[in-house]
Amino acid sequence: MEKGFVENGFIINLSNSKNTNQLIYELSNIMEHPDVKGKRICLKLGGIDLKQSQLLSIKALIESTDAEIALVDTVSEQTEASAVSLGILVSKVSDDIQTKNITESVSEGEPVIVKEELVTEEVPVDDNADDFCEGENKVVEVDAGIKTSDISPISTMEGVDDVYTEESEHELSEIIPSEHFETEFEKLAAKEGLISNDDAGKYILLDTGEVLPQGAEEHSKDTKSLPTLYLSQTLRSGQTVTYEGNILIIGDAHPGSEIIAEGDITVWGILGGIAHAGCNGNITSKVRALKLNAIQLRIASLYARRNDTLNVPYVQKTNEFTPEEAQIEDGKIVIYKKLRRD
Amino acid sequence: MTGRVIVITSGKGGVGKTTTSANIGTALAKEGHKVVLIDTDLGLRNLDLLLGLENRIVYTIVDVIEERCKLKQALVKDKKNPNLSLLAAAQTRDKSAVNAEQLRDICDKLKEKNDFVLVDCPAGIEQGFQNAVAGASEAIVVTTPEMSAIRDADRIIGLLNTKEEITSTRLLLNRVRPNLIKNNEMMSVDDVVGILEVPLIGIIPEDTGIITSTNKGEPIVNDESSLAGQAYRNVAKRILGDEVPFLDLDEPKGLMAKIKNVFAKLKAKV
Repeated sequence: MEKGFVENGFIINLSNSKNTNQLIYELSNIMEHPDVKGKRICLKLGGIDLKQSQLLSIKALIESTDAEIALVDTVSEQTEASAVSLGILVSKVSDDIQTKNITESVSEGEPVIVKEELVTEEVPVDDNADDFCEGENKVVEVDAGIKTSDISPISTMEGVDDVYTEESEHELSEIIPSEHFETEFEKLAAKEGLISNDDAGKYILLDTGEVLPQGAEEHSKDTKSLPTLYLSQTLRSGQTVTYEGNILIIGDAHPGSEIIAEGDITVWGILGGIAHAGCNGNITSKVRALKLNAIQLRIASLYARRNDTLNVPYVQKTNEFTPEEAQIEDGKIVIYKKLRRD
Repeated sequence: MTGRVIVITSGKGGVGKTTTSANIGTALAKEGHKVVLIDTDLGLRNLDLLLGLENRIVYTIVDVIEERCKLKQALVKDKKNPNLSLLAAAQTRDKSAVNAEQLRDICDKLKEKNDFVLVDCPAGIEQGFQNAVAGASEAIVVTTPEMSAIRDADRIIGLLNTKEEITSTRLLLNRVRPNLIKNNEMMSVDDVVGILEVPLIGIIPEDTGIITSTNKGEPIVNDESSLAGQAYRNVAKRILGDEVPFLDLDEPKGLMAKIKNVFAKLKAKV
């Protein structure tokens, strides 16, 4: 893996992405890493053609994590034109001398210092670990051709065998955008058929191994046929509601609470704790809430954690509700922004 | 490999046991040691929040004890440091869900594969305390320079002295405010050590940065510019056997001012 040191910046190599969707997928995975926050990002896009709107979407994705796009490195004319029209610095160079050019092209703007001599060095993964422990002002080039978890800060965790690791191939939960778009980005994303940035990766699957209780099997029983428990109260930290059917809660479920149902879970309020629908393996179960902030979302045997970048430290009381519904589709947890009738 | 099991306790609540556990654990892991943090505050767990790992917890210590999962599965790895992992407490159970014997077993298993096992003890001297202390061979007593905290720390030290397994007990003085000490409004470090007669392992200055770091789920030792972070890093070094002088907090015009100066200069550069 190539590696570069840039002061307070990151080089992200996405040139191996096959299409725009994959590019966004990889990038949103990378942007989730806490170290990327607030950094200046240099994007290597190789020969990928990006329209202005697509590049704008990428820019918005980067800016959503407080990072800033410093430079785009591309050989595609279309991408270059898009970048220029958006006022993003462009470097258009061949691979072997690229770092030098980065230095030059950036030098007129903010100081992004690239130490040339270090850039093409082959660095074993373990060294990367040290770099990240030391922390500051160092950059690891991220190659999109590999799995997201192979990004060095994450991959270093895999070296340790006797501690339980979060498995590599977690997939982003996917968003189907509704027609109510608020931000410019979402409009663009929908137009281009991109995943909505706003919530792409709001939840990330955990690899938990076998989690269904003994004797339980995956099934798809209609949840409408199950009885429903109706509760009108606030669920507080440490409280658990378990029911062999659907659960309907009128009120908020605070972080630290647990709702475990064999059928659907509906929270008419803010869902902040753990919600486990279809706990005995019912994959048609759904979780819906007026505000879906669950720290963990579990449906049948799929467990997803809330993305670290969505920092909701408290029970965030709000009057702005964005009803959402989560369900399993194609082995992924999909969140719909609009409630639908079956 | 046989690691050291250190319990972090205080008697009184709110003096900074959990903050201390998170920071010492992170600091030791940063030094390259393998560390497991155990939260034994069942029903009132916080350590996961301080480390920002709440969303990753699937199994807890109770699941391990009740054999719903393997110990390895319940260890949640830190986001940044692969050397650090957490065994979380169950939020929906209480202290009676585990007993001292079971905790000792867990500590024994964990110390085989780790350099340090840090046990974050709940407040009080009941079952929770007895559980937490069970597997430990060393103790760090956290206290603040207040009469009530010192009284409770004294009680805890008395209890620790009756435990044969605990071979070393050391004191960590938290939330020290040098300017109050100067005006004789707060007990000095010497006063506290004089009362408790336990060797000191660290003095942590009061730092508002702790509040932000707690809310962010990011231990303050990761913040190189924080004085409290520096103090915690020094504690970790002392645990490792290095002789590190205590930060001189008594004379704000001395080292404090110098350090502040240095940071001010650094900030100006940035």
